Order: sequence, then structure tokens, then C-alpha cells
Amino acid sequence: MLEQELKNIWKNSSETAQISIETDRLVKEFDTKMTNIQKKIRKRDVREISASVFGILLFSYFVYEIPFTITKLSCFLSILWFIYVIYKFKKSNQKNSSENLTLPIKEQLDHKKQLMQHQLKLLNSAGYWYAGPSFITNFIFIIGLENPADYNWTNSIAENLLPLTFNAKLGTIIGLGVFYLITIGVHKIAAKKDVQPILKTIEDIQQQLNNSN
Amino acid sequence: MSKSQNTFDQLLKENKHKIYRICRIYAATPIEPQDLFQEVIFQIWKSLPNFKGNSSINTWVYRITLNVCLRTKTNLDKSNNKTTRLDAIHFTPVTETVEPLELEKFKYLKECIATLNESDTSIIVMYLDELSYKEMAEIIGLSENHIAVKMKRIRKKLFECITPKLN
Repeated sequence: MLEQELKNIWKNSSETAQISIETDRLVKEFDTKMTNIQKKIRKRDVREISASVFGILLFSYFVYEIPFTITKLSCFLSILWFIYVIYKFKKSNQKNSSENLTLPIKEQLDHKKQLMQHQLKLLNSAGYWYAGPSFITNFIFIIGLENPADYNWTNSIAENLLPLTFNAKLGTIIGLGVFYLITIGVHKIAAKKDVQPILKTIEDIQQQLNNSN
Repeated sequence: MSKSQNTFDQLLKENKHKIYRICRIYAATPIEPQDLFQEVIFQIWKSLPNFKGNSSINTWVYRITLNVCLRTKTNLDKSNNKTTRLDAIHFTPVTETVEPLELEKFKYLKECIATLNESDTSIIVMYLDELSYKEMAEIIGLSENHIAVKMKRIRKKLFECITPKLN
């Protein structure tokens, strides 16, 4: 009796609103929405990759222009690292966009959990794949800078920008160290504040599903 | 109208009220039921070309609806929560034809469903829509037996909550 009454209450609940849908117009609006989503994704990809592309161009110029061997070597390493970052972003974005909402809820949650774990790992390991290699290549770059006069090298812009004295080198290395430490901290905070609560929610729902009681 | 558009149109006609009922349960500030409803039908439209008919269309619609509703709680990109309302969907309140007592009863039912956890909520909405255990099992991804055991406990909890309110 109560069972049927509840089902009736439930079914009558949608009668509080009349829903009218103009399908032709809706499909057009969805097409526009889809185009906008794709544009946003493309913009995000360009934004993420452009910094690395700029880095590749800049360090390629340094390889060509700067005569110091160790600094040249660090530029090659930086270029390799920028290529790796582009690959990492592409791979991560591909993973994040592989959502399939037609899966059973349990499978969908497993999939979402995997994505979140990947995201968490990526943020927590930023020191190893982002800050660490970047700092090392920057460090080698600075250490490798020598006296331009020994190489008969003149480039006023580079001479003004590059830390050529001991004090300038030390200051730049300390500054970069602080910057990368802050970067690691920001990534760790994002992992703790944004990803971990979601992971916990997913695990809670998974546990609720698996429990018989 | 193309064949796929016809299918979509038919699907909406048959399922819009069912989808809206579920969205009303899962919507929580700042997300309105209309926003969730819109997102569900967008995902249905997006996934429709890939529907292979391995499961019934009913089960398929439920999976998308519940996955979208649960996604609001597990979304990393909060910008997805900001929905632009589409002009093609109109919600007109029809309160004058609905008995105030019916509205109150639904309020009680909603309150009692809100006391359940996420997993139990998804099962109870399917139970109230009179889905079989087999269908529920296909939607959730658990065995029929598991659903039956869970259902017994959830029903008891719901009845204990709502009986004093309805009396």
C-alpha cells in the first residue's frame, strides 16, 4: 500500500512543470555548444603548448648564439624537456577527455577514480617531472656561462640579460630555486584541495555500492 | 527532420519527465534541476550515435542520467557547473493543477531520499520508477542479488522515515 503510494507520489512529482522542447532548435543549440566546447579545448591546448613552443624557440636561439659548451648542452636538455612537457600535457588531456557516461555507474566510477589518481600523481610529482628537471637545466645553463671576451663573443642584449658575474649567478640560482619550490607547493596544494576531496567522494560512493548493508 | 533527430525527439518525449524527476532529486545549489536536465539531454544527444542497442534504451538513458547527476559531485572542473540555459527548453510551472497535498507529500519523499547516501539514492529513484532488479543491476553494474539485498534495507529506511510524515 505504502509502496504504491510512494511510487505515485514520485511519478506525479514531474507534473509540477510542463516541459516543452523544440527539438530542431535544441539540436542547433547543441551543435553550437559542441563547437564552443571544441574551441575551448583547442584554446586550452594552444595555451598549454605555446609556452613550451616558445621555450623550444628561445633555447634553439641560445644554442645558435651562445658559444659556451656547457650552456649549449643545457639548452639541448631544455629543448628535450619542453618536448616531454608537450607530450605529457597531450597524454593527460587525452586521458581526461575519455569520459563515457553510458557505462554502468560502477564502471564509470572506476574510470573516474583512475583519472583522479592520475591527476593526483601528476600534481604530487610536479617536483620530479616539472620543477626538478627545469631547475637542473637552468642551473647547468647558468653555471656554464663564461666570460664572453674569452670567446670573442659580443651580443649586447644577451650580455645585459645573462647573469655573467658570480653574484648575479648566485642570485639567479637562489631566485629560481625559490620559484620552483613555490611551484611544487602550489601543485601540492591543488592536489590536496581540489583532487583529494573528489577522490574521497568517489571512494565513498564505491564503498557504498560494494557494501551490502 | 533526419532519422537520428527523429529518434532523439522520440526519446525525449518518452523520457523527459523521468529524467526531470531524477534531476530534481540530485540538484543542489548552485545547480538547478533545469541545468542538470539540460546537461543530461546534451549527453544523450552526444552519445546517441554510439548507441549500439546492447542494452535497452531505457537502461541506457538511466545510465547517462545517473552518471551525469553523480558527476556534479565528482567534477574537478567547476566551470562545467556554470550552465547557460538553452532557449529550446521551456519549463512552465503548473502549480494550479497540482494538489497542495501532493506537493507536500513529494516534499516529504524528497526529504527522506535526502537522508540516503549517493548509492542508495540512485537505487531508490529506479525503484520508484518501477525498474526491475535486472535493469537496476545493468545500470549500476552490480549483481541482481546484491541489488535485492540493498533494496530491502533501503526500502525499510525509506518507509521508517516517511510513514510518520505521511500519517
